[in-house]
This record gives sequence, C-alpha cells and structure tokens, in this order.
Amino acid sequence: MISDVFQPANIMFLLQGFKVTLEIGFFSIIFSVIGGTFLGVCRYLKLPVISTLAGIYIDIMRNLPFLLLVLVVRFMTPLPPVMSGIAAMSIFTAATMSEVVRGGLNAIPNGQFEAAYSQGMTRFQVLRFIVLPQSFRNIIPPMMSEFTTIIKDSSYVWAVGTEELTGRGMILIGKYSATGQLFTIFACVALIYFVLNYTLSSLARWKYKQMRAYIH
Amino acid sequence: MKSSEKKLTLLVISALIAFGALAAGCGETDKKESAAKSDSGQAIQKIKDRGVLKVGCKIDVPLFGFKNPETGKIEGFEIDLAKAVSKKIFGDENKIEFTPVTAKTRGPLLDSGELDMICATYTINEERKKQYNFTEPYYTDPVGLLVKKLDNIQSLKDLDGKTIAVPQGATTRKAVSEAAKKDGIDVKFAEFPTYTECKAALMSGRAAAYAMDQSNLHGYVDDQTVILPDSFAPQEYGIATKKDNKELCDYIDQVLKEMKKSGEMDQLLTKWKLKN
Amino acid sequence: MAEIFAGFKWIALLDDRELFIEGLITTLEVAVFAMLLSLILGIIFGIAGVFPKKWVRCVDRVYVEFFQNTPLVIQAIFLYHALPHLHIMLPVIAIGILGVGIYSGAYMSEIFRSGINAVPKGQMESGMSQGFGYWKIMWYIILPQAKRTILPALGNQSIGIIKNTSVLAMIAGGDLMYTADSWAGANMYYGPAYLVTGFIYWMLCFPLTKWVQQLEKKAEVG
Repeated sequence: MISDVFQPANIMFLLQGFKVTLEIGFFSIIFSVIGGTFLGVCRYLKLPVISTLAGIYIDIMRNLPFLLLVLVVRFMTPLPPVMSGIAAMSIFTAATMSEVVRGGLNAIPNGQFEAAYSQGMTRFQVLRFIVLPQSFRNIIPPMMSEFTTIIKDSSYVWAVGTEELTGRGMILIGKYSATGQLFTIFACVALIYFVLNYTLSSLARWKYKQMRAYIH
Repeated sequence: MKSSEKKLTLLVISALIAFGALAAGCGETDKKESAAKSDSGQAIQKIKDRGVLKVGCKIDVPLFGFKNPETGKIEGFEIDLAKAVSKKIFGDENKIEFTPVTAKTRGPLLDSGELDMICATYTINEERKKQYNFTEPYYTDPVGLLVKKLDNIQSLKDLDGKTIAVPQGATTRKAVSEAAKKDGIDVKFAEFPTYTECKAALMSGRAAAYAMDQSNLHGYVDDQTVILPDSFAPQEYGIATKKDNKELCDYIDQVLKEMKKSGEMDQLLTKWKLKN
Repeated sequence: MAEIFAGFKWIALLDDRELFIEGLITTLEVAVFAMLLSLILGIIFGIAGVFPKKWVRCVDRVYVEFFQNTPLVIQAIFLYHALPHLHIMLPVIAIGILGVGIYSGAYMSEIFRSGINAVPKGQMESGMSQGFGYWKIMWYIILPQAKRTILPALGNQSIGIIKNTSVLAMIAGGDLMYTADSWAGANMYYGPAYLVTGFIYWMLCFPLTKWVQQLEKKAEVG
C-alpha cells in the first residue's frame, strides 16, 4: 500500500511542486537581496527622504505575519499565482535583508573610513572597495538564514492555492489517506525541504569558516 | 562626498515621482475605460485586443474543472463552457488562459482584474450578486455530505455536536448551518483553504463530515468514504464577472442562451454525464 | 479599488468585532504558551549544545537542524492531520502551542548556545576548581552573564512567535488570521478584514520591536 505512493506519476507530481518552490525561492532571494542591500546602504548612509521612507516600510513589514502579505498581494494585485508569491516574499524579506546589511555595515569600525578618507577616497569608493567586502563576513550567516526562511515560508502560498511542494503534498495526502501512506508523504516532503535547506546552511557555514580563516 | 549623496537622493526621488505618475496615469486610464465600458463593446474589444480570454476555473473538481494528472490538461464541463465563450469572441476556442482558482481566491481575482470571468462551480446568491455579476445558472447542484463508512453516520442529524469540514469562500457553510437549524441540531465548522484539506480533515478525524456540492464530493469519495443520501440547498452555478463589467456579463449570458437553444448545452451535459 | 474598502463593509466588521476579538485572544494564548515552551526547550537544548558529552551535543544538533530546516507549515499540518492516525487527537490550540513552541525552541536553543559560548570558558573551569557542580555553575554563573547578549535575541524570537501563530489559519485554528480569512471568505469583505488584522498584528509586534532595539543598544554599550 505504501508503495502506491511511489508511482512515477506521483513522484513527478511532487517534484513539479518542488520546482515551483525553487522558482519562488530563487527569484525571491535575488530580489530581496538586491532590494535589501539598496535599502540597507541608503539607511546606513542616512540619505534624506529615502531613509525615512525605507524605515517606515521596514517597520511595517517586520511586524506583520508573512501569510497576511501573501493574501494581500494575491488578492489586490493582478499578478499570476507564482509571481504574486515571489512579489510577496521579496517585498517581505527585503525589509529583513536591509536590516542585516545595515547591521553588517555598522559593525565595521570607523577607523576604516578614516584611513580611507585620509587617502582621498569618496564615501562611495570606501563603501564599494573596503567596507562592503568586509561586511560580507558579518552579513553572510544571517543572510543564509534568511534564504532558508524564504524556502520554508514559501509553503504559505499554499493558502491561496498556489501548488508548490507543500500544496502538492497535501493533494497527495487527500488521495492517499491511509496511515502508512500519509506518514510517507509527510516524510518525503519534509525530507526534500530539509535536504535543500541543510545544504544551503552547510554551504554558508563552510564559506563562513573559509572567510574567517582567510582574515585571521 | 556630499554631492554624490545628493545625486543619489535626487535620482531616487525622481524615480519615485516617475513611478507615482505612471501609477496615477494608469489609474486615470482605468477610470476612462470603465466610463466608456457602459457605452458599447469596449469590454469585449479590450479582450479582443489582448488576444486571450482570462478565465478562472477549478482544477480539482472532476467533470467540471479537473487537471488530468496524466496529460496535465484541464478538462471538464466548465472548461468547455469557457471555450464556447472564447469561440464566440475570437472564433477560436483556444484563445483562452485558464488560471486555477479555489473557492477562496475566485472572487478577489475578479476584483483585481487578473481574470475576465470565473467559471468555477460558483454558486449564485443574493449577497454575491451585490459584489459580482452572474449569468443565468448553467447547472444546479445540491450540497451533500461525505462521511467515513466506519463512523456509521446515516444522516445530517447524526452530526449533532460534531465538526464539519467546509472550504473557505464557499456557500456550503451557510447552507449546512441553515439545514442544521431546520433539523434542530447544532454543528461546528472547520474551514480550510482547499478541498483536499477538507478531505484530509475528514480522514484524520478532525471533522466528522466534509460538506460540499455533490458534484465536487464525487471526486473525493473512495472505498473508505460514502456520500450520504442527504441533499439540500440546491446551488445554482453561474459565470461571474466584475461588478462594473455588466457588458461582458450580458455577452456571456447571450452565449449561454444560444447554447441552451441550439442544444449544445445538452450535448455538453451528456458528454460529462451531468444530465439527470 | 474603492469598493474593496466600501463603508458598509467596515460597519459589518464592527458588527462582528467579537469574532475578531476571540481570534485575537486565541492568538495571544498560543503566543504566550509557545513562548514559554520555546524558552524551556531553548534552555535545555542550549545547554545540551555545550554539554561535555558528545551524544548529548548530537541530540541537540539533530533537534536544531531538523526544526530549523523544515517549514513550520509542514510541522503544524503534520501535528494536525497525521497524529490523529496514531490516536493522538490534540485540540487545535495545543497544536499551535506545540508546533510554534518546538519550532521556535530550536532557534532559542541556538541563541542560548551561542550566549553561553560567549561567556569565557575560564568561568566554568574556576567554578569547577572551587568544587561547584556543572549545573550550579551553569545556573548561577554562566547563564546570568549570557543574559545580556541573549535577551535581545529572545525578544526577536518572541516577535517571530506572535507572527508564526498565523500558521493556525491553515489548520482551522481559530486564531486572528483564521478568523479574518473565514469572515472575509464568507462575505468577500477582505479589504477591511485584512487591513484591521494587519493593524492588530502590527500593534502587537511593533512595541516589542522597539523594546528589542533598546535592549540591543544596551547590550552594545555595556
């Protein structure tokens, strides 16, 4: 009976859902990193107008549940299902990313700036060539943690019917409701998420260790 | 140093202004369009210009809107209805884009303009008519109850004090609670975002029954479950369009009328074994 | 767009405010108990993460890695739909507390583990040389010092817990998000429903966020 679950059609069905999860994850990571870095740098440089606007945006996004944003974006914008998931996730996560970037930039000692200015570099040059590269060491671990959060929280888009991995798993559970089959499906879905996220976080840890070894 | 900062600030502000103007401009165009819609074939023209009809349909209700797991194609009675509309507009029944919807998402997707019409087992009732336009009904389906054979439930009365699983956004909850009141019993409800989760709730024992339109339940019955003979609150399905798009609604209504007259409707009903 | 926020919809929301208040109470109940649970699990597994015995540290790694790398949604749905098959039928609020609590506990334990690791190892050694037991040292010497770095992170987790209770909306949990969804699903008044719900969550979380920011400043200065 449990073997019924492992028919090729079912496995394909589940993997197609995984593909959607990867799509949402991949694009959300890219957009939120770009948006978050931009906002984080703006806030760090304390640029007028933008800093304040960004601050308001961040204060709102970081205090709302992601599920709410999924619902709002799906229902209030004419975006197709997967794109609305990517939009919601990017908008939501960019706020957290910007705080990560800002925190990483803040951690660089002022001495770096002073030394660079004394060499005649502009603020932007200092940022680009000295501060940002060093702050990566601080920024990478929390950023990777956000990446895994993106992949895990992508499961919330199932609340609006988008068929990613969790959704596909639930559909199979509707079909194969015997105890053994049920547990097998859950285990498979959890395993796929786990493998993906564990790989990502292990990569991050390895890269982080590399960077530390280099600096010291 | 300060000047490059100022430059960046100016850049971003002007980008924001440009974006704002664009958004405002789009808003203006929309207003003009909806004013014009009440005049003549503007709504239909817009669809013709776009080149594709955007339809919301079910993909998990066998016979009405169902994605065949083997072919990956969506098929069903409602799919064919939508194709007939597309044929009337474009002369080609395949100029159509189907978006899967759930009971919860179908209404809002009309509002947001993502879809032109919804053909997704959408029951017509007075409250909904206030918010969306509906065509004349194309099918009537009563609400039914799916229960586990092992639970030995014979009728709605046996569900006194129990929990019934219903999908969010469907008229089922209201229909069942009214029927329960009539029978003098008390029931609790657990709502889920999709049909599969209602079925999962039934199977895990979280709910004693899954209530839904019978046509839908037929897709979920298996050897551990049975559909009770109770059937109540006949639900009339209609095709829904956005409230300010009366134009399109009348157009689709016309298509349906013609199909009923020409016997095409009957043919489709027979094809999907829905004729009583 | 304006129709989404039409006046009569707001009035309907006002009329039905008891539903939303009940939902809010459920959210708070689940949040508070989940915080307690995650704190307890956090301390236990945090210490387990630095324990001298290797197998204990291993158990901690398994717990942390499993619950940090799988979605809360899956964990909650599993507790809700799969446990009954083992004849364990927990009330939905318990599922919320367990699900959110165990999930956050994994993050809490990492916070405690790194906080403990930040306290100089010499403390443990000198304590041992004075004849104190492992647990006494941990409780009276190490943990109080770790508090300063741990507190802001705990605050952040608490905010996360409040937001994570919204997972109950996917398993008919009766919390604020479920109530809003259910109400809006029935009458399609989703404009006011989601706006008010967002506002309430914001009111719950924002003060906590500000408090955590203050804590973080204190941790830096000291």
